[in-house]
Amino acid sequence: MNLKRDISTSTFSGFALSASLILTFLNVLLNNIPTNITRVGDQFLKLNGSEGVANAVTTVVVYFRGFDTLGEIAVLFIASLGIGLMLDSNTRCNLKADSNFMLKTASQLLFPIIILFGIYVMVYGHLSPGGGFQGGVIIASGVLLLLISHKEFEVPHSVITLLETFAGISYVLIGLIGLVVLDKFLGNFLPHNISDMGMLLSGGIIPIIYIIVGIKVGSEMSMITQNLIKRSDDV
Amino acid sequence: MIGFIIFVTFIGIITIAFSAIIQKKLADSIILFMGVGIGSVVLFFIFKAPDVALTEAVIGAGISSLIFLMALKHLGEKK
Repeated sequence: MNLKRDISTSTFSGFALSASLILTFLNVLLNNIPTNITRVGDQFLKLNGSEGVANAVTTVVVYFRGFDTLGEIAVLFIASLGIGLMLDSNTRCNLKADSNFMLKTASQLLFPIIILFGIYVMVYGHLSPGGGFQGGVIIASGVLLLLISHKEFEVPHSVITLLETFAGISYVLIGLIGLVVLDKFLGNFLPHNISDMGMLLSGGIIPIIYIIVGIKVGSEMSMITQNLIKRSDDV
Repeated sequence: MIGFIIFVTFIGIITIAFSAIIQKKLADSIILFMGVGIGSVVLFFIFKAPDVALTEAVIGAGISSLIFLMALKHLGEKK
């Protein structure tokens, strides 16, 4: 490994430039520490109790910043749409070789456990670390395992369409019901007592919205991986 | 003890990240990028952010590296 030969000068100079900029920025920040900072996290923690959700991060992501989450899953939908348009996989895949016996058996053994863990992370998102995004991606990784091990396996397009449309429509519908009932988009119109904190049925609409986000993310990520894998097997 | 673990993980992340950008084969870079993700999972967990640690483990170290690998396979065919 010859550092001087293998790395271009622009890489080195860019590294040095960004390092010096970061150091200057840190120097300015450390020399001017403002007093009496009001932290937004303290306000959020104070407000969190009124929703009766044990995991404060979930309250911030789904409730206080619920509209941002709607935008995020829209961004993921657009990414999935772009990959689907560019890598149109109407042709059936033909793998060169069948995967071996060990991989097939192990993936059949692991697939239900991965799906179960994904659903657990999704449903308990308001009680423990995790939530819709993580659970959805765990489910998509289980689908990916089956896709690389079984050459005939394919997620049906109609199921993905149904799940994704259902999830997207019900997110907006729940928000609109909140707008009608409480004059507030994504208002928490279901009962959410603080005495129920820590129970599975607590927090009103927050766990429902996180499960919907999980279904949407899971179907979109499954579609992305399936498009990429089928296409790369075709050629 | 916990400070030692943090120090070792931090130095490890920086070393792996630097060796990822000087690899000649792109596939090696992607595998090392996965290593950076796993190191950050440890740091996030120690600094009491289990939500971020779970997200990084699933998305950063897991599925995004696999998507990179599949995209690399596409690029390799076109060359």
